[in-house]
Amino acid sequence: MGKVYVLGGSQTDFERNWTKEGKNVIALLKESISDGLADACISYDEIVSLNKNNRVACFVGNFIAEEYVGQGHLGALMTEVHPVFAGVPSARYEAACASSSVAIDAAVSKIKVGDYDLAIVIGWELMKTVDSKVCGDILGKAAYYEKEAKDIEFPFPKLFGQLADELIKKYDLDPTRFFNALATISVQNYSNAKRNPLAQTRKWFMNYEQASHRNTTTNPLVGLSLAVSDCSQITDGAAVVILASENYIRHRKIVGAPIVKGFGHRVAPMTFKKKIEESAQNKYILPWTRQCILEAYERAHLTVEDMDFFETHDCFTSSEYAAISSFGITVPGKEYEAVEQGITAFDGTKPINPSGGLIGCGHPVGASGARMFLDLYKQVAGKAGNYQLKKHDNGIMLNIGGSATTNYCFIVGKDDENE
Amino acid sequence: MGKIVIKTVTVIGANGTMGSNITGIFASFGGAKVYMISRTLDKSIAAIEKVVKSVKADSIRSKLIPGDFSMLERCVKDSDIVFESIAEDFKVKQEINQQLARLVTKNTIVCTGTSGLSVTHLSEIFPPEIRKNFLGMHFYNPPYSMTLCELIPTKYTSNKLLNDIHAYLTGVLYRTAVIVKDSPAFLGNRIGFYFINEALINSEKFKYNGGIDYIDAIFGQFSGRSMAPLITSDFVGLDVHKAIIDNIKNNTSDYTNSSFVSPEFFSQLIRNGKLGRKTRGGLYKQELREDGTKRYLVYDIDTKEYRDVIAYRFPFAEGMKKSLAVGDYRSAIDILVDNKSIEAEICLELLLKYVLYSLTVSIDVGFNVNAADDVMAMGFNWCPPMAVVDAFSGSDRFADLAKKRLSPEYLKKINFDSVIANIVPSKYDFRRYFKAK
Repeated sequence: MGKVYVLGGSQTDFERNWTKEGKNVIALLKESISDGLADACISYDEIVSLNKNNRVACFVGNFIAEEYVGQGHLGALMTEVHPVFAGVPSARYEAACASSSVAIDAAVSKIKVGDYDLAIVIGWELMKTVDSKVCGDILGKAAYYEKEAKDIEFPFPKLFGQLADELIKKYDLDPTRFFNALATISVQNYSNAKRNPLAQTRKWFMNYEQASHRNTTTNPLVGLSLAVSDCSQITDGAAVVILASENYIRHRKIVGAPIVKGFGHRVAPMTFKKKIEESAQNKYILPWTRQCILEAYERAHLTVEDMDFFETHDCFTSSEYAAISSFGITVPGKEYEAVEQGITAFDGTKPINPSGGLIGCGHPVGASGARMFLDLYKQVAGKAGNYQLKKHDNGIMLNIGGSATTNYCFIVGKDDENE
Repeated sequence: MGKIVIKTVTVIGANGTMGSNITGIFASFGGAKVYMISRTLDKSIAAIEKVVKSVKADSIRSKLIPGDFSMLERCVKDSDIVFESIAEDFKVKQEINQQLARLVTKNTIVCTGTSGLSVTHLSEIFPPEIRKNFLGMHFYNPPYSMTLCELIPTKYTSNKLLNDIHAYLTGVLYRTAVIVKDSPAFLGNRIGFYFINEALINSEKFKYNGGIDYIDAIFGQFSGRSMAPLITSDFVGLDVHKAIIDNIKNNTSDYTNSSFVSPEFFSQLIRNGKLGRKTRGGLYKQELREDGTKRYLVYDIDTKEYRDVIAYRFPFAEGMKKSLAVGDYRSAIDILVDNKSIEAEICLELLLKYVLYSLTVSIDVGFNVNAADDVMAMGFNWCPPMAVVDAFSGSDRFADLAKKRLSPEYLKKINFDSVIANIVPSKYDFRRYFKAK
């Protein structure tokens, strides 16, 4: 099987509200596709010539456009973006907030087996078309809606609030210490986002004082003990990733492109209750998340020691907290130590979310997987600008759908054999 | 590394719109203790809620210390920065500065928030050893989302202090800090009110076409701004608008001087106390109907009466919005250029003039053309001038268009070729500014 290279991509400015701009999904897709292709130095003419021999395909990640913008058949929608996409194989992939990871996975597989030479992956979501309560209800469809979300206001903060409570119970944590660690996680993400010119919260204020004082007017509780500062916000946006085959790289004489080194994909029981019941005897609170990461390491023949940085799915501070041990940065139950000691901070030895993550950068749900993957690429390629890390040979991302139901990992790194 | 540490700030006029907002910026991002000085202690106490709301953070409450002028001496002596944010009146500011001159030490940084008075004249109220620590710091409203901060040094200001404050504003307060010269209205308002006042002059010229709301409909969000120009005037206040243009008209002498005149109807509205949103009536007026719904009225220059705002539908504007809605920016600009209606011509002409004036004045008042982009994007939320050029497909096409569509007399007044030669690609993406509305 051939290697899969990452040529580049694009992210829209997550500060933008496309509804307020009066623009529709086609406008969003046109901008991100043209920016992504330009970044990877690919012209529309080249798409035409690759398509003649069936060597290019599009992979669209989106959770629930039917509800947010009243549109389905999203793979075919690419033909409205540019006439060159007529005839190009294209389909939509869905796994809630991990939708664009499934799209990446499909693209990687097709390139690996030699079906295509070029894959255009786009993840997107326009969420600001509805008010926040309706948005929360729509997101509830990523859970078992009937049992976990129907007639519940903001179901997801409550599910991840339960995760926070279960973490305390399982590891017998000091609640104050635990919630202060969650506050630090929030502040780290906000602070990292200040360096990211495309981050939704880059102008927003957050500090430890604000994040650690919950249940105030400006930091109300939204999901059990979790407050607004513990949550990612509603975001509009898209992210594009361009992948290529060895054949393509050789032909175009491209050197130094990062490669996809491994993946992991595991699905845990749908409901949060079953997840917790199932993991009662396990060291890890989310064993399938841990398993997914382990398998990505194994496929890449790497360990946590080799990881220079991490992009994780901090839809809530509690999900980033649980990811720390899942990545293997600490043993389960001791995650707070990594947070307190600054190990996961921007200048720490195992930085998590240098981009600002979902809390800082934003979380257009169908785009987040592609956005994380793009950030792995940017770091490894040395193109992360103000948030470029010093050590950036290998990075891993964890993208989850639902209450850590679908778990997806990718490892992107330098192509050591072609240095 | 020689970074300055700002632990304590005194804001004088902390209950005002700008004073309370700026207090919030220092207390939140800066983490500074802020003494809030207002005319009365009650006013300062009441302003705390505004401050907290402005940065959406209860956590800064402990940083806010309300006070009145009787506490000024103690507050100033304890402060690294003293920020004056009182009425835009030289005499009033002079009085405060004379008081401050007696209270500050040679290490205190003194800033004025003036939006147009001479910072040099204000600094000369202080003894020479204090002048080196004095500079203008001009924030835009509301600073939480509009991150522009113009920094205005005088000939006395220490270079080291200027660099330190610039680093503090960008690195700690996350401002878009732009150093500008001590010139009337500085850079943002000079460019912004050039545009707004040209729109105002046009509203009188085209009063039989509808006047105020007619012109605002021509410069809607589709033309690259978040708020139409005359609504902006109504928002900032007609009196403030007039003070800014009078200052520029009387104290500058470039080719646009006649663009800063005040139409008679405008001066009359001000004399009648119709100052805009703050007085519930100005260029526009909102009324509540009996059923509780809002009624939007506009001042009709011809009839001198308020009437309902008209929902104009110009073919060029509708065409642009349709193209922008699906992300066809090029076709939207083509419509603007190719449509020969009077409305499209008014719109295009002022956009061209806006870019040319920005290029000219950014060199005089700022230090490079990027300064014009920073002030218009981060102070006004308008498509900044270099990004407008990008939207027109670059400087060659822009120059051709300007030559074709502006009068030879107009072009003669500016050094066209050298002005065009200064165009650089913008660091701002024009696409977000051209809205399909």
